[in-house]
Amino acid sequence: MSQQNISADAQPNVKYNQVGKSLTRTDAPGKAAGRTPYAGDYVMPGMLHMRVVRADIASAKLTRLDVTKARALPGVVCILTADDVAGREAATDIPGQTGQKRMDTDQQILVHERVKYYGEPIALIAAESRDVANAALELVEFDLEPIPGVYDPEEAMKPGSPIVQGIDNIVAEHKIRKGDPEKALAEADLVIENTFHTPFQEHAFLEPEVGLAWTDENEVVNIRVSTQVIEHFRAIADAIGVPHNKVRIRGALVGGGFGGKEDVTVEIYLALMAKATGRPVRLEYTREDSFVGHGKRHPFKLTYKTGVTRDGRITGMDVYILADSGAYVFLSPYVLLYGAVAAPGPYKVENLNVYAQAVATNNMFTSAFRGFGGMQACAAYEQQMDEVAKALDMDPIEFRRRNYLKTGEAISTGFVPPSAIWTEECVDKAWAALGEPTVSSDHIKIGQGIAAYQQSYGRLTFLHDTSECWVGVEMDGTVIVRSGVTDIGAGQISALGQIAVEVLGVTLENVVIYNSDSAVTPLAGTTTATRALYMTGNAAKMAAEAVRERLSERAAREFDVQVDQIHMAFNVVSVIDNPDKSMAFVDLVKICASEGIHRSELSMFRAPFSDYLNPETGQGQAHPDYVYGAQAIEVAVDTDTGEVEVLKSIAAHDIGQCINKAAVEGQIEGGTQNGQGYALSEEMLYEEGKLVTPSFSEYLMPTSMDMPKVQTILLESRSGLGPFGSKGIGEPALTPVAPAIANAVANAIGVRIFELPITPERIIKALKEKQAAN
Amino acid sequence: MPVEYELDIPQSLDEALNALASDNGSSVTPLAGGTNLIIDIRSRRERPARVVGLDYVSELRAIDCTSERVTIGSRTTVTDLLDSAEIAKAAPSLVDAARVFAGHMVRNAATVGGNIACGSPAADLVPPLMSLDAEVTLSSKSGSRTVALADYFTGYKQDVRNADELITQVAWDRLPEHSVNTFRKLGRRKGDAITVTGVALTVVVEDGVCQRARIALGSVGPTVFRARQAEALLEGKVLSNELFDAAARKAASESSPIDDVRASAEYRLHTIETLTRRLLTQAWARLA
Ligand SMILES: Cc1cc2nc3c(=O)[nH]c(=O)nc-3n(C[C@H](O)[C@H](O)[C@H](O)COP(=O)(O)OP(=O)(O)OC[C@H]3O[C@@H](n4cnc5c(N)ncnc54)[C@H](O)[C@@H]3O)c2cc1C
Repeated sequence: MSQQNISADAQPNVKYNQVGKSLTRTDAPGKAAGRTPYAGDYVMPGMLHMRVVRADIASAKLTRLDVTKARALPGVVCILTADDVAGREAATDIPGQTGQKRMDTDQQILVHERVKYYGEPIALIAAESRDVANAALELVEFDLEPIPGVYDPEEAMKPGSPIVQGIDNIVAEHKIRKGDPEKALAEADLVIENTFHTPFQEHAFLEPEVGLAWTDENEVVNIRVSTQVIEHFRAIADAIGVPHNKVRIRGALVGGGFGGKEDVTVEIYLALMAKATGRPVRLEYTREDSFVGHGKRHPFKLTYKTGVTRDGRITGMDVYILADSGAYVFLSPYVLLYGAVAAPGPYKVENLNVYAQAVATNNMFTSAFRGFGGMQACAAYEQQMDEVAKALDMDPIEFRRRNYLKTGEAISTGFVPPSAIWTEECVDKAWAALGEPTVSSDHIKIGQGIAAYQQSYGRLTFLHDTSECWVGVEMDGTVIVRSGVTDIGAGQISALGQIAVEVLGVTLENVVIYNSDSAVTPLAGTTTATRALYMTGNAAKMAAEAVRERLSERAAREFDVQVDQIHMAFNVVSVIDNPDKSMAFVDLVKICASEGIHRSELSMFRAPFSDYLNPETGQGQAHPDYVYGAQAIEVAVDTDTGEVEVLKSIAAHDIGQCINKAAVEGQIEGGTQNGQGYALSEEMLYEEGKLVTPSFSEYLMPTSMDMPKVQTILLESRSGLGPFGSKGIGEPALTPVAPAIANAVANAIGVRIFELPITPERIIKALKEKQAAN
Repeated sequence: MPVEYELDIPQSLDEALNALASDNGSSVTPLAGGTNLIIDIRSRRERPARVVGLDYVSELRAIDCTSERVTIGSRTTVTDLLDSAEIAKAAPSLVDAARVFAGHMVRNAATVGGNIACGSPAADLVPPLMSLDAEVTLSSKSGSRTVALADYFTGYKQDVRNADELITQVAWDRLPEHSVNTFRKLGRRKGDAITVTGVALTVVVEDGVCQRARIALGSVGPTVFRARQAEALLEGKVLSNELFDAAARKAASESSPIDDVRASAEYRLHTIETLTRRLLTQAWARLA
């Protein structure tokens, strides 16, 4: 990569005809016209309707379960309890491609005896109608005998605490060590220590979990379901005790995922019931089900000790991270690892000690959520950077500038990211775009803040991630793309089309994409971890290039020129510098077809594979590569009421290369909203594990009235590992938002609130304390 | 969740009152916009046996402004209030409240009568109406009566309405020239939020002296109520910042908020005081 030659301005990429443009996505017309069926729109004759009976105490023993009354209700067809799934468990771990699974991470499918969290499923009902299923829900009788639970990870680690998982509730630990952090901190001019708290967060997708399952003529359980991961067919088959090839997932376009549909949700219940009844079964979560039916974002407690010299150089850093894993393990070990790897942020820290623990409690289990631990770390390290700058009496951006990690330098794990690191460019551009602060008035204080970040794209490299895509050309010139990739609303499938048509020199109207079927589309892996474009985009590009090679060879023969003289663009094949020699793309395809030239290709892209990080030092490779960028925010704080209004929000990200510019901007705008809620208003409050904010009237996401106009600044280093030098934006869009808001609020009121969300209440409390201290 | 009930859809006020008259209304529930009731039915907080839908009782959907009096039919929606140029002049506080009421869809359905009848201390139209000295008309098959809105609520979600009565209208005398009427809602976000504290204020000044002060407070007691002691501090006085401080403190001391998931009682007391002071100061600046 010759990164030196690349300007930091996002120039339209003149090299490409399709890529980088804001083309109308292939999925847009159907969605806009309401033609696109989502998983919940599918029905079948004779279909049954399901409901899930849930525990209403977080820590308890199931002492009685009686379904006789419910079974007797006319229209009830089947009720399943733990007795019907004896000896079976559901995997909560992701084995990746290596097939290895962590010990003791499975979960009971239905409560056998012990309830570990509020909402844990106890029984499954199937009935002829939704109304009957609902009525049966109230007829299932059960007694729960409360057992002392533990709801705070610190409590959960104390000797004598109730045990939720393993022998001591500690479900994961990670260490990262390099240099001599103790010495560096001892010798620093100044050591600043702070503890930050980040909250639970709900994914709040528009489309709650939903699916339809039926058993076909070959005894295959088919599940049409809203999911990010069709590869769960294996885990579902294991859970219901059939060979993997007896479960087939047929995805649909997904109405939002954000990590909340990364784990199995309704699939096992559907599969069990389809098998038990021999009939099609449908299960749609109510919003109330959804609030308790999937894992949340891990709350983190992060303690930072940063040692600096007087002139603002970081000499050493010590970080302790404590994550609440809730009642089951799920993806906690990996989320925690992301947090640990990201802990120092996009800064050069030669002497580093990170110790991270995830601890089980009787809270709702926590698992994947956009940003996946990396964003919790960012919420802390970027606030800490401002606090250290303040202690040094230095401009926060100047302090960052003295410590930025530069292209070619190693991150926390000793790994050198292969791409450009443009943190400084992003920070400077975002900050400049913010402009002069609005003028403060009597009780309205204005503040500005910045946050930079480092966020991985692609899965953990020790999972040995791969992705497949098939590209072919039909005789009428249509490009067909087949890939298992799921589209969770970000334009994942359309991007594959845009890549394939770029390579093949046709236009996006001429592409048809078949996706998300675990049996007939090549498996592409999960749509998670900002990996879909990187992994499957590369596979699509490889496949399209192979087809192009064969087509252009034939064209070269036709025109009697060298292959590298062939130009393919906008559905025309021509000879470079000789416009007289040209033909329609479709005519070339016809020639190839009649001569039996292979017009399709199945390609597999392999991410870099690594071993597990050194368990003592955390050194090694964790991810393929990283994205860098920044968010700048201006807020107005009402010091009478504590209300915060976000006035300006500027996002600058080096996304490597846009594939679809409008889709990138869409991700950034959505990520900004997601982060603003996390920073200011979204609260999942639990009382003894029971969710007391279980609806959208208490769980407050920012509305359109609360959002400022979001300005996006796209930088294209074209240095990423994705197709055409792209990186990724799904998770990075969110990562820096909350700390930028927190820094702006602290700048406005002169006091920091160390716990997110920064509610009006907390602001008033902090202002009162400040007043009392003066 | 399925709850079975009978649904009556009367075509006139008479028919509606007849429907309510059966077994003295004890098993009958009026349905206006449904933005509270349907939710309560779904969550099983309400299990009505018979529901009387007011959709076609068109007499109740009206805004009537004369030079002396303003009258609003109970079936008037929040959007109707926002669309009315006359209400904008006659009841600025009501418009302040309507603007920050829920979101578009709910505003199109939610009614004035339903907002009063639901009895919530967080009902946003009630503090403005109370600050305007509005009176509520209750009608049944056997006749009508009028109650001051300030006397309408008797406790948390309790009121003076008999089961066979409908709220048919609210009305009040127009404010004189030298007056300010405003409302400030404090919620946890700007769109679609339940009120954490609400303050409605009316100040009438003549010859530099405060002739009438009304301070109606939302979400800081079992019902919306008037801070009468704070009002008394202001009436008959030449207004000043010291007086505003005292009145704001008094308003807070008359409040009895609770802790809930939205805010603590302490925060509510703090904001009642700061918002009351701010509204008074702003009103004074506009009257000066
Ligand atoms: C998303 C959402 C947001 C909301 N935001 C707000 C907000 O910002 N501010 C706010 O104040 N409220 C809000 N609400 C609550 C609700 O919209 C209001 O209270 C509304 O005014 C209720 O009016 P309605 O016509 O829908 O009443 P309904 O739901 O039809 O009825 C409510 C109650 O009043 C009774 N009733 C209705 N009409 C009469 C009548 N004429 N006589 C006697 N009894 C009657 C009914 O029997 C029922 O008990 C919100 C609700 C939702 C769903």
